[in-house]
Amino acid sequence: MVKGNWALFEEDFWSINTILQNLIQSSSSKSVMLIDKTGQLISSIGEPPGFDVTSFSSLAAADFSANQEIAKMVGEEDFATLVHQGENESMYLSLIANRVILVVLFDRKTSLGLVRLKARRGGDELLTVLNKLFDKLQYKNEDLSATTLGAEFTAEAESEIDSLFKE
Amino acid sequence: MSLINYSSREINCKIVYYGPGLCGKTTNLQHIYSRVPQETRGKMISLATEMDRTLFFDFLPLELGQIRGFRTRFHLYTVPGQVYYNASRKLILKGVDGIVFVADSQIDRFEANVESYMNMLDNLTEHDLTIEKIPFVMQYNKRDLPRVVPVDDLERELNPRKAPYFEAVALRGTGVFDTLKVACKLVLKTLG
Repeated sequence: MVKGNWALFEEDFWSINTILQNLIQSSSSKSVMLIDKTGQLISSIGEPPGFDVTSFSSLAAADFSANQEIAKMVGEEDFATLVHQGENESMYLSLIANRVILVVLFDRKTSLGLVRLKARRGGDELLTVLNKLFDKLQYKNEDLSATTLGAEFTAEAESEIDSLFKE
Repeated sequence: MSLINYSSREINCKIVYYGPGLCGKTTNLQHIYSRVPQETRGKMISLATEMDRTLFFDFLPLELGQIRGFRTRFHLYTVPGQVYYNASRKLILKGVDGIVFVADSQIDRFEANVESYMNMLDNLTEHDLTIEKIPFVMQYNKRDLPRVVPVDDLERELNPRKAPYFEAVALRGTGVFDTLKVACKLVLKTLG
């Protein structure tokens, strides 16, 4: 496994999902997503969104990154949270552990104040889980075999690439 | 940065198409989108100007399906090629697993290729990456046009590390999948 990659293990995934589930319930939000800063979806909980979550994740991460750069231009380290408010649907985004973005989708059944409060609490809990995960990954990176996928995986994936990607 | 989720059994990898303005990065993605089976591709997103020039990025998710129990996806991005969009290019390189550099073979775009290549090296450095360490494929596009630089000259200037290269005519699809296949395979090797 090359350095810089990261992996999510079963126990961490469930800890994260429990936090996201609690956040949805306590804030009366519609759905909550956790997205890697590079635009990859980590987890999505709540009402299944009626859109392509993969594309959504890449756009949300780009949105966040662009705003971080804008923050630096105006002399801020970052804009740790962003809010996009629509007529019916709104979105709250916040950065956690400088590596993942928490996205809360909510409608008029709740308020931005409540979402913000609960998202902050949920964010603190996520920070604890994620820091433990990153420590674990740092340790595992020293033992490469623990997180690699093996030669069989590569061979099978290569054959799939050959059959799918052709003129 | 590839993300392996052992619980939902998913692997996501990010490949970025880099190169000067109008070299054919978006055309590569459009061709891939038009030719892969519908169930393999997600929605293609292009954040472009009214003149169809890439403003921020194009994005195309591709799914290989289940490989030894893992849903394996490649996320293809292009950067905006125009010089003044460097801040956007830097952002898109964040977490990159592999790069395809699309060079424009035309003689009068030679300098633009070199400038874009050097810009890529600078931007990689800002992410603590080097071209030697990242899966990298070179594509010499527009080989069908009349006034093109010989491949040997392009190789000497743009590909000193001798990464795999392909000649292409992205508009007709020539070389597009050869490039993509090798890029994907090189990225997978870093995981396997």
